[in-house]
Amino acid sequence: MGASLTSSSANRSRITEYLLQRVEPWPLLHSILVEKDSRRIFYFMLLNFGFMLVQTFYGLATGSLGLLSDSIHMFFDCLALVLGLCASVMSKWPPSMRFPYGFGKMDALSGFANGIFLMLISIEIVYEAIERLVEGSKIQRIGELLTISVLGLIVNLVGIFAFEHGHHHHGHGHSHGHSHGHSHGHAHAHDHGHSHSHSHSHSHSDHDHHHHHHHGEHSCGSGLDISPSHGHGHDHGHSHGHGHNHHGSENMHGIFLHILADTLGSVAVVISTLLVHFYNWSGFDPIASCFIAVLIFASAVPLVSSCASALLLTVPQDAEYGLRETLSDISGLRGVVGYSVPKFWLEERVTADPDAHGHSHGSPEKDHDHSSPRILGVMHVIAARTADTEDVRERVTQFLAERHMEVVVQVEKTGDSRCWCGGGLKTG
Amino acid sequence: MASSLPIPVPPKTPTPPPDEDEFQQQQQEQQQSLGLGLEGLPPNSSSTVSYDPNTLSPMNWTFPGRLGSLPSPANTFSPASTATAYSPMTGENAISVNGSNGIPRSPFNFQTTTLARSPVAKSNMGQRRGHKYKHSSVSHQIFLEPEPRAPLPLPASLDIPTFLECRKSMSKEQRSRIIWCCCHMFVAAYTLWSAQESLALTALSHLICFDALGAFLCVMVDVLGNFEVWKRSSIRHPFGLERAEVLAGFAMSVFLVFMGLDLISHNLQHMLEGLGHEPHHEHKHARISPGSVDLASLLAILSTLVSAIGLKNHARIGKAMRFAYIESLPSVLSNPAHFLTLSCSSLLLLLPLLSIQMYVWLDRALSGTIAISMCTLGARLSKTLGFMLLMSYSGGGVSEAMREIEDDPSVTYVEEAKFWQVHYGLCMANLKLRVRGGEDAMLRLRDRVTSIVRNRLGGGYGGGGGQRWEVSTQMSMEKD
Repeated sequence: MGASLTSSSANRSRITEYLLQRVEPWPLLHSILVEKDSRRIFYFMLLNFGFMLVQTFYGLATGSLGLLSDSIHMFFDCLALVLGLCASVMSKWPPSMRFPYGFGKMDALSGFANGIFLMLISIEIVYEAIERLVEGSKIQRIGELLTISVLGLIVNLVGIFAFEHGHHHHGHGHSHGHSHGHSHGHAHAHDHGHSHSHSHSHSHSDHDHHHHHHHGEHSCGSGLDISPSHGHGHDHGHSHGHGHNHHGSENMHGIFLHILADTLGSVAVVISTLLVHFYNWSGFDPIASCFIAVLIFASAVPLVSSCASALLLTVPQDAEYGLRETLSDISGLRGVVGYSVPKFWLEERVTADPDAHGHSHGSPEKDHDHSSPRILGVMHVIAARTADTEDVRERVTQFLAERHMEVVVQVEKTGDSRCWCGGGLKTG
Repeated sequence: MASSLPIPVPPKTPTPPPDEDEFQQQQQEQQQSLGLGLEGLPPNSSSTVSYDPNTLSPMNWTFPGRLGSLPSPANTFSPASTATAYSPMTGENAISVNGSNGIPRSPFNFQTTTLARSPVAKSNMGQRRGHKYKHSSVSHQIFLEPEPRAPLPLPASLDIPTFLECRKSMSKEQRSRIIWCCCHMFVAAYTLWSAQESLALTALSHLICFDALGAFLCVMVDVLGNFEVWKRSSIRHPFGLERAEVLAGFAMSVFLVFMGLDLISHNLQHMLEGLGHEPHHEHKHARISPGSVDLASLLAILSTLVSAIGLKNHARIGKAMRFAYIESLPSVLSNPAHFLTLSCSSLLLLLPLLSIQMYVWLDRALSGTIAISMCTLGARLSKTLGFMLLMSYSGGGVSEAMREIEDDPSVTYVEEAKFWQVHYGLCMANLKLRVRGGEDAMLRLRDRVTSIVRNRLGGGYGGGGGQRWEVSTQMSMEKD
């Protein structure tokens, strides 16, 4: 079972095609398998679950406590994967009456939860390590421990390889925006070919924000990459607006980190067990745990912060410039006296099928259409007393639509004091 | 730098309304203090800001627009050209303003208004071009087009306060609250320490820890409320930072689930060990001799009560999520988190008093129950808060309100209707309607839609959570 699944991640298409035909009658399963991300999670979850079952049976048969308690751990991993699967399926759901903006934020939400979980886990690991250090407990049954952790390591490595592909493909929104074109050590720079050349404008004080708005859009990443390989970027002041990772799903990133954490945990156990065995000092184990915990924590921080800013509806910096410009242009439109309560936020793009995604980067125009998220929002426009409200509304909406914004525009007349925004009152 | 104090603060407008000048001054003072990095800002001066009914709509848009629309000599010294002249500097500053808050503010930051307006320069250039063009064409309406106005200032960008600024802005009361939170946390640690072998007490200590974190969150929200960026919307943070409280609540609910799962897995492991070999150490002595008072659980009850009544931690979370079963209980107990902590700790307090031995199985059962209810509570909590973060509205009555709006005679079609909750205290309703009738009908309809939404959804039954509704209606006239 494990073997077939492993190979399925290599030449995905044939097995998936077959499975897709088989699961046609079950729409839920079908929808899971159709999407690339959820398919990956699903396969890995099956693998994990199978491993857990084997572990449990074997543990029960031999009465091995280590195996059993590790299978508990596996069970919780499976739970996390199920949640991730739910999130990835849900994020494709269409908007409804209750969820007027759809489930686009689901990815960020699940990524956030996963990140927080990882942080908590790492704190707990440190706590337990300290406890063990103080109590000085001995490691028993070294052989069994080694077997279990090596097996777990293998399973998780499979997961990492399955996920890493996807992760590389679109999960890495690390911004190239701020460094002057030097040293982009990205292994996956191909996705962003043209963005390098355009996006220096961050760090200079030139005013060509417009240009920046167009091209820098998708290069404003979130700093998700756990192994950032460009050294110089950060000393250029305000780096990437931390915002929206326009490319990838934070959900996948969170799951990836989770698996990575597990893998690192197994590695740590193997190494520390061997060290303890050879050097006979039981302090290696807690130290290794602490080290791993710090690594996990550090890798979860960027994920959490990027997800948090997406969930707080923070507007990333480059979009903010564009918005300021737009707002001041609106006040120049005919008949517009003022505006009040302008509130804008980015639409969470429901990622199109990532398989087809890589090709859309060819030309800037096309790219603009595809990957820059729309800006949604609300604003109240105050029209001059003599102006025609209908005319003003049409102008403003058209103006905004040209700028890729979909905004609910409420038009009020000067001196109209009845709206809660109080805009008409003030300009009146 | 001071000589270049920017334009649209004309010394005297021809007919200055008496309050306007005062207002401008106040505005400038405020900006000055903002520019100085808030050090000089005493907490109460900022709190006057938050009492302002106009908090949501930054007020500084008012006056230049007004000046601009007045046909007064003030307009003839065209602000546009001045703005252009200064634009290089302002542009530079605009960037530094938007930079991270760690940057020490330089003296010229008291020009926040102009800075925020930096992109204006460009738009005015466009306007001037239009001007030239207009002169050549006779057919343009001359009186409709206003003179080049001072462009409307944009909402100022506000910085997120740093930790130091937060600490400085704290009032005495807030300080004492923080100290109490630390005490609460200490109680949690004490309970954990005194738990020794008892799983139930360990579980209780986790619960107390959750409560203490809730109290911390409460105080943090209170302290951050000292700052303008918390409530006032800017472009970068369209709803202020108040949504952060929801996010923190979500993180806490994840924490609760995590602790529940952790307890369960520990329990299971204990059980496995019990199955595997002989119990390696008998529970030789009971932790608390029967008939005596368990100090830890007593402290737990006390601190929970103090936090619940004094700090009202979890109050907003409890309001957002209602459990039907315990809703009818008196105030503190109707909150699920407090209910859980109080019932567990009083049980732990009573058991020894009633001379019931803490058997191993009882201990396990109790801690298992606590763990499972922690998971349940956490899951419910994260579902509620998560839905809020997904931009949805979970209260009822939306479809009724929609039906009522659709039934209005002047509405021909509802293009779009979005109801969602921004944070605990704010909901939004954004509608796009197609209507027939004149402008009067539109005005009436707007009022009607607002009142329908507020009555149906806002007031609600039994308080309804006290959310404010911001209703925006875009109405397009049916062409026929």
